[in-house]
Amino acid sequence: MLALVGRRLLTVIPSGLIVTALLFFSVNGLIGSPAELMLGTDATLEAIAELNRQHGFDRPLITQYLEWMGKALTGDFGRSFTTHQTVAEAILPRLPVTLEIGIAAIVLATFAATTFSSVTSARVVVRPMATGLAIVGITLPNFIIGIGLIYLFSVELGWLPSIGWAPWRTGIINHLQHVLLPILTLSAYFYGVFTLVYQAEYDAVRRRLFVRVAKAKGLSERQVSFRHVLPNSILPVITYVGLSLGQLMGGAVVTESLFSIPGIGGLLVDSIVARDYPVMMAIGMIVVITVVVMNTAADIVYTIVNPQIRLD
Amino acid sequence: MRGVGKSWRRGPLGSPRFLVGLGMIGAVCLLSALADSLARFDPTRSGVFPLSPPDATHWLGTDELGRDIVSRVLYGGRPSLLIGIGAAALSTLIGVPIGLVAGYVGGRLDRLTMQLVNLLISVPGLILALIITAMIGPSLTNLVLVLGFVTWPRVARLVRGQALAIRETVFVEAARAAGGGAAWIVRMHILPNTLAIIATQFSLTVAYSIFTSASLSFLGVGIPPPTPDWGGMVRSGLNYLALNPTMALAPSVAVAITVLGFFFLGSTRK
Repeated sequence: MLALVGRRLLTVIPSGLIVTALLFFSVNGLIGSPAELMLGTDATLEAIAELNRQHGFDRPLITQYLEWMGKALTGDFGRSFTTHQTVAEAILPRLPVTLEIGIAAIVLATFAATTFSSVTSARVVVRPMATGLAIVGITLPNFIIGIGLIYLFSVELGWLPSIGWAPWRTGIINHLQHVLLPILTLSAYFYGVFTLVYQAEYDAVRRRLFVRVAKAKGLSERQVSFRHVLPNSILPVITYVGLSLGQLMGGAVVTESLFSIPGIGGLLVDSIVARDYPVMMAIGMIVVITVVVMNTAADIVYTIVNPQIRLD
Repeated sequence: MRGVGKSWRRGPLGSPRFLVGLGMIGAVCLLSALADSLARFDPTRSGVFPLSPPDATHWLGTDELGRDIVSRVLYGGRPSLLIGIGAAALSTLIGVPIGLVAGYVGGRLDRLTMQLVNLLISVPGLILALIITAMIGPSLTNLVLVLGFVTWPRVARLVRGQALAIRETVFVEAARAAGGGAAWIVRMHILPNTLAIIATQFSLTVAYSIFTSASLSFLGVGIPPPTPDWGGMVRSGLNYLALNPTMALAPSVAVAITVLGFFFLGSTRK
């Protein structure tokens, strides 16, 4: 068991090296050099060469990659080209914002997907609704769902503010009013995926013997569904939470831009538009590393909870 | 495994989901193809009445530069469809051979390929596409290249799984016993039996690519203006949601119908 977990943990290192190298080398290969990216093609060759020399971008890529990784491990991601603050300073205050809406969206999606698909009363109506909503959530891009919600709740009904951000210190109610639509927007896709995954497992579990026993004991349909089937069907959803992190970051980028939320996703778009190489690279690297780590974590959790797949 | 391809040909026409998808895609393709004769205004020429609400002349009103929204939505379908179908074609061209070889050859080559493929799948496609597109500059060709590059691993994984299953069947064993070479068996037996999966995945890749390219445009790294493009239209319409909501809502509905249509086509199971 421990050995297995250890072996899985070790795979993080090669995987992490491969994805970070892939990102680093492909971006650097595509842009020519960071100085060229920032100064534009109109800049003189001397100016580009000078800036590259200042920042050490004229050395071999492999040296730059190793140095980048080495410094990143100590928390040093360099300085932003545009604001000149350190990248860590730019990222850190924005991290809680993205974490808050990300975690809230995942929790909401998990809760809604499992509850909505377990309801036993008026099942003929509720089930197709849950599935239909899931398909909408999976297929529609985030920004379209967001715009639909803004139009409905802010423009037409006037219940909620449309875009913008209010930190906690401006009042809890005010804060919640501002995060509600972004969280709903971000959770739509995950609600969809979780629902489809959950329904498949739920339907399979329902046919198992212990469910029939529970019914024979005289439990009501609702009790059987929520107390016996639900806990036994939720595992694939939990695994999916770990696997959806990449999608979550993609969704956060769009959602934060749409609602003008000061999070990591919005910062990534800003840095790309401003051609701010250090910030862009740092966020890209953080995202791919987090995804690799979370995928491995999901793998390990799954192995621990489900002994059947401990074979290899 | 016999007849997998056949049942796919017979099967989906009986499925309402497939037919609905077919109808949606048919309508979108037709409207985009006939945009020249259907659009009553030049989609890029500014008019004198900006942000006018829907009326008899401009059925969905005009945008902030007075351009007719109906005409822009009609023309906006072209880049979306081209990018979606182009990216899916590229994705199939890369993914299918890799999947077939990995699945049929198996062993160490398969393990290595699949580890790389799984790794690539775990990297968020939108973020990768966002960074690369911003670097190489948004154009129709670049978007096709980027999205094809982002989507091929899923195709490879699916095809590989199917190839692996078919490799173990009796008719493949018989073909091998009859002296068939690897390349011949893959072409004559494995590939035909993966066509159904390739076709459905093609449709899903189109949906994903349109989804992603619309998101890129929305973020401001899509096809540059003034070319009408759905994601870009939503982006500029967002500022005028209270004044003229159709500016953002009409292209949103267009994206929704197109993506949903391709999703329906691709997710129909026998």
